[in-house]
Amino acid sequence: MTDTRAVPDVASAGAPPPVPTPASRGVPSGRYRAPRATRREQARLGVLLVAPVMLLVGVFFLFPLLNAVYYAFVDFDGLNSAPPFVGAANFVEIFGDPKVWAALQNNMVWILIGTAAPLAIGLALALLMWGVRRGSVFYRVAFFMPYILPQVAVGVVWGWIYDPIRGWLNRGLEVVGLGSLQTGWLGNADTALYAVLGTAIWATSGFVFVIFLSALRNVDQELVDAARLDRANSLQRLWYVVLPQIMPIFLMVTTITLIGGFSVFDIVFVMTGGGPAGATDVLGTYAYSSAFQLNRISYGTALALVITVLAVPFTIALNRLQRRLSLDGAGA
Amino acid sequence: MSAVATARPSPARNRPSLRRQASRAGRHVLLTLLSIATLFPVVLAVSTALKTSQDVRVNPFGLFSSFSTENLVTAWTVGDFDDYLLNSILLSVPSTVVVVVVSTMAGYTFARLPFPGRSVAFYLVVLGLLVPFFTYMIPLYFQLRSIGLLDSLLGTNLVLATTGLAFGTFFMRAFFSDLPTELEQAARIDGASEWQIFLKIMVPMVGSGMGALAVFTFLQNWNNFLVPLLYQPNGAYRPLTTGLYLFLGGRSIDIGPLAAGTLITILPVVVLFVALQRQVTQGIVSGAVKG
Repeated sequence: MTDTRAVPDVASAGAPPPVPTPASRGVPSGRYRAPRATRREQARLGVLLVAPVMLLVGVFFLFPLLNAVYYAFVDFDGLNSAPPFVGAANFVEIFGDPKVWAALQNNMVWILIGTAAPLAIGLALALLMWGVRRGSVFYRVAFFMPYILPQVAVGVVWGWIYDPIRGWLNRGLEVVGLGSLQTGWLGNADTALYAVLGTAIWATSGFVFVIFLSALRNVDQELVDAARLDRANSLQRLWYVVLPQIMPIFLMVTTITLIGGFSVFDIVFVMTGGGPAGATDVLGTYAYSSAFQLNRISYGTALALVITVLAVPFTIALNRLQRRLSLDGAGA
Repeated sequence: MSAVATARPSPARNRPSLRRQASRAGRHVLLTLLSIATLFPVVLAVSTALKTSQDVRVNPFGLFSSFSTENLVTAWTVGDFDDYLLNSILLSVPSTVVVVVVSTMAGYTFARLPFPGRSVAFYLVVLGLLVPFFTYMIPLYFQLRSIGLLDSLLGTNLVLATTGLAFGTFFMRAFFSDLPTELEQAARIDGASEWQIFLKIMVPMVGSGMGALAVFTFLQNWNNFLVPLLYQPNGAYRPLTTGLYLFLGGRSIDIGPLAAGTLITILPVVVLFVALQRQVTQGIVSGAVKG
């Protein structure tokens, strides 16, 4: 499965017990205050119930994350038990490393195309299926299937499709008379990134499709019909009537795919491992190979931290925008 | 079509509905073609897995040009995919149970049970949604090595579970937040303890959410190859995905058994998804949208 996770709703985290989520927005959020004895009992149970999650998150996420910060400021090769402190040297090296900039450029391509294409394809499929009843289960299963398949298996099969000699892509090109375009898609440094990206788009579009399909269900059909009566053509109806109504969802999906573009790792790792000659290296795979193949543990970890920090402002900005739009009553 | 239209007394009124019918048919044709195109890689995997090894050598990617189960047998016996399948189950079932139970407990607390420091705790948990796994996977490797949890079922299960807890907690919290407060107040007046309210009243009401989370988490853990790849360095409990990855690296020329291994890896996922497609898609949609 591609790494498209929900974006946390940071703004309402500190709210008191009956947290008004967008879903329950209609209910007036009159604060209910329990008697003191009840509150004490609640606090006691609360601490007990979060203990397991805090323990696991503490040991297997927060502690290694803090360790990552520590690794980034020392020079650790995986063996030395007391690695020397090097200050910001790793970060300085990252900024001067041409391979990092090349990888970042690939991430940018990934962010642009890997966000725009699934959004367009997913929206087009959802609009095509809007209002279709018969066969809708089959179509939904078919379009969503790529998203739930293991990336390793996806990589194997797409590797065959891109096979230079017998692959379906090259054979298809020959059939339609574009034989001159044939190439070893994953072995050619000029095409490899786009080939892997194509596979990722195939996998992600189904996710976007399903989200848009459910968003379209809440679109006010009367407004669309009214626009039709006013002789708005289908593009105008889409732009002025449908899109504004699904805008919060649109931004949410954009956020998810965009962050995915920063943190892309699995599919590149499986299909090309960053090759040929670093042509498909993204920041994630470059960090991995620095750490595990060159034993530059600290350098790889510092780079991974930089990626994380790069993605956070985007997340927060888009999250804010999405919140404001959905609070405007644009129906999430 | 035009004959039908002219036979009717008022063609002007019928034309839109006819046009609509035609456009509906066109939509179905287009949707069907697109579905087939989307599923093509899956079909290709099935077709290649079920060929004779002779046919694989000559024409590996021709669709359904021969039929044999020999590749499946090879992958199963020589390729160790029988062990991998068992290990996949041993790694995804316990970790999924942990995620669902622990997230339900935590989600309830973050929605309903205030205590000092709760919002800090919540931030720390959902921080996991912002930080990619590769940011901390390297320190985690050395940490697991020093506490002896590499190559163990326990260690890999706990790591897999933890990667799902941020989403799970976030997801279950949204379900508990949506529940009305009247029920719990009534139960409290009847003298129910907070623990009873949680277990007997609240948990049964989020059953659908727990189900969706279970399916989603199971798929996620089943599909994960990086966690077992890193933290099972000697392959003591290597699951299907990691097995397939290493098989791909070692003998990518053996297309037949590779295809069979791919089929064995995706088959449980496909079956589970087709059987529970509503829960899977709804779980993912509400998980993504609810925040």
